[in-house]
Amino acid sequence: MPKKILVVDDEPHLVKYMTAFLEDSGYETCSASNGEEALEVLKRENPDLVTLDLQMPNETGTRFYRNKTKNKLYKDIPVIVVSGLPGRHLAVSQPFAVFEKPVDRDALLEAIKKAIG
Amino acid sequence: MGGSVYGSPFKMLGAADKMLDMANFDWRRLLDALPCYVTLQDPELRVIWSNSVHRRDFGEPKERACARIYKLSKSQCVDCIVKKTLEDGEGHSRELQLTSKNGQRLNVIAHSAPFYDGANQLLGVVVTKVNITSVKEMQKQLIMVGQTVAGMAHSIKNIMMGLDGGIYIVNSGIKDNDQSEIKDGWEIVLLNFEKLSRLVKDILYCSREREPNYKLINPNLVVTDVYNLFKDLADRYSIEISLDLDSGLKYVVIDPDGLHTVLANLVTNAMDACKMDLWKDTHLIEIRTKTGDDGSTIFEVADNGMGIDKELKHHVFEEFFTSKGDKGTGLGLMVTQKILKEHGGEITFRSRPSHGTTFVATFPKRSVEDTKPGGES
Ligand SMILES: Nc1ncnc2c1ncn2[C@@H]1O[C@H](COP(=O)(O)OP(=O)(O)OP(=O)(O)O)[C@@H](O)[C@H]1O
Ligand SMILES: [Mg+2]
Repeated sequence: MPKKILVVDDEPHLVKYMTAFLEDSGYETCSASNGEEALEVLKRENPDLVTLDLQMPNETGTRFYRNKTKNKLYKDIPVIVVSGLPGRHLAVSQPFAVFEKPVDRDALLEAIKKAIG
Repeated sequence: MGGSVYGSPFKMLGAADKMLDMANFDWRRLLDALPCYVTLQDPELRVIWSNSVHRRDFGEPKERACARIYKLSKSQCVDCIVKKTLEDGEGHSRELQLTSKNGQRLNVIAHSAPFYDGANQLLGVVVTKVNITSVKEMQKQLIMVGQTVAGMAHSIKNIMMGLDGGIYIVNSGIKDNDQSEIKDGWEIVLLNFEKLSRLVKDILYCSREREPNYKLINPNLVVTDVYNLFKDLADRYSIEISLDLDSGLKYVVIDPDGLHTVLANLVTNAMDACKMDLWKDTHLIEIRTKTGDDGSTIFEVADNGMGIDKELKHHVFEEFFTSKGDKGTGLGLMVTQKILKEHGGEITFRSRPSHGTTFVATFPKRSVEDTKPGGES
C-alpha cells in the first residue's frame, strides 16, 4: 500500500504542485490549507508524513505543529518543513528535515524516502 | 591673518618662517583650525580648555566635567579613557555618543593622551574627538540596503517556487496529454510572472526620486476606475466594496497614475485584511473622497478586516515588512507613502485590532500651473 503524505500550505497553487509531484512519485496525498483543517485531516486520513509550510498567516503552521506534537497518536509522524524564511523552522522543535523555497525536488524525495520509505 | 597682535614681531621674516613662528607663538590657532574636538582636562575630569569647534558645539567649558558637558550616562562613563590615562600615563581610545548643546546626538571616536609639564609631571589629559556621525549614518544605510536585498531575495525565492510548481504541472500535463492540467499549470506560471513584474516595478519605484506627473483630473473617476478593477475579485471572496464620493469634488491637480497606485495598494491591503479576518460574517470596504478644510483632497479606504495589532503598527510602512508570508512583498505601503511624499501629502491610518482599519491619504491643494511641462512644483 502506498504511503500517505499530508501537504499543509495556504497557497492552493503550491498544494497543487506538491500533491502532483508526490503522487507522480508514487505517494498518496491529502492536503489542508490552514492549521485547523490540517489537524482534522490528520485525524481523518492518518498520514505517514506531513509537509508543512511555516509561513502561513496567523502562525497557524506553528500552532498546528504544537498540537500535533502534544497528541500521543500523532506525535511520531515525521514533519518536513518547507519555508522561504531562513531560520523560521526554529519555531518547531524537531522537524525531520527543513527545505527552503524553492524546494529541490530530488532532495525532498530523498528525505521523504529516508523518513517513510 | 595679520591681526595687529601678530603683525609686528614677524615683519622681517619670509612667509613660511612667519607661519612657523606664529604656530610656536600661539598653538591655539592650530588647534582651533583642526576639524575635531580638542580639550584639556584636569585630574578632576574638568574641561579647562577647549578648541573653537568644541566651543561651537558644546559651549564654553566653564570648568564643567566632561560627563556634564556631553550629557553622558553613567554607563558611558564606565571605562573612562581620561581616568585610564591619568592612571597609566598611556593613550587610549573608544567610541562615544555625545549630546551637543543643541541636543544633537554626535558619534565620536575619542583619543586620550597624557599632558606633562616641563618636569615630566602629569598635569592632565588631552582629549581629541573625531566626529563620525556621518560614517555611522552611512553604516546604517548600508545595513538598510542589506536588509532590502535580503527581503528581495526572499520574495524572489517564493516566486521561483511558484514558477517551479507551474512548470512542473505544465510538463506533467504535456506528458499525460491532459489539456486542463496544462491550463492550470500555465495559469500558475502567469500568476507568478505577474508577481515578479510587480516586484520589479515596485523596487524600481522605490529606488529613484521621481517628480509626479501632475495633471488636472477628476479624482472620483480614478476612484471609480479602481472600484471597477476590484469589485469582481472582491465579490469572489464575498467582500462588498462601496463608494462614498464627494460630488463637490471636481478637478484637482494630482498624478493620476500615482493616485491609481495608491488606491490599488490600499484596496488590496483592505481585501487581504478582510480575507484574513475570521471574526465577522460580512466584510465591507468603503472608498471615500472628501475635500479638506485647506483645500486638500482626501481619500479614505476603510475595511472591517482583521485590523492592525499594536506591535505591528510601527512597522507597516517599512519596506519588505509583511505579515502575509508568501503572499506579500511588503512594498505596497512603502510605495504608497513615497507617492504621497512626492506630492507633498501624507498617509496615516487608524485601526482597531479585529475590528478594522482606515487608511487616509491626503493630497495637498495644487494650482493648475503645476501641470505645465517644466512648471515648478
Ligand atoms: N488594511 C489593513 N488591515 C490590516 N493590516 C494591514 C492593512 N494594510 C496594511 N496592513 C499591514 O501592513 C503590512 C504591510 O503592508 P504592505 O502593503 O506594505 O505590504 P503587503 O500588503 O504585505 O505586501 P504587498 O503590498 O507588497 O503585496 C501588511 O502585511 C499588513 O500586516
Ligand atoms: Mg499590500
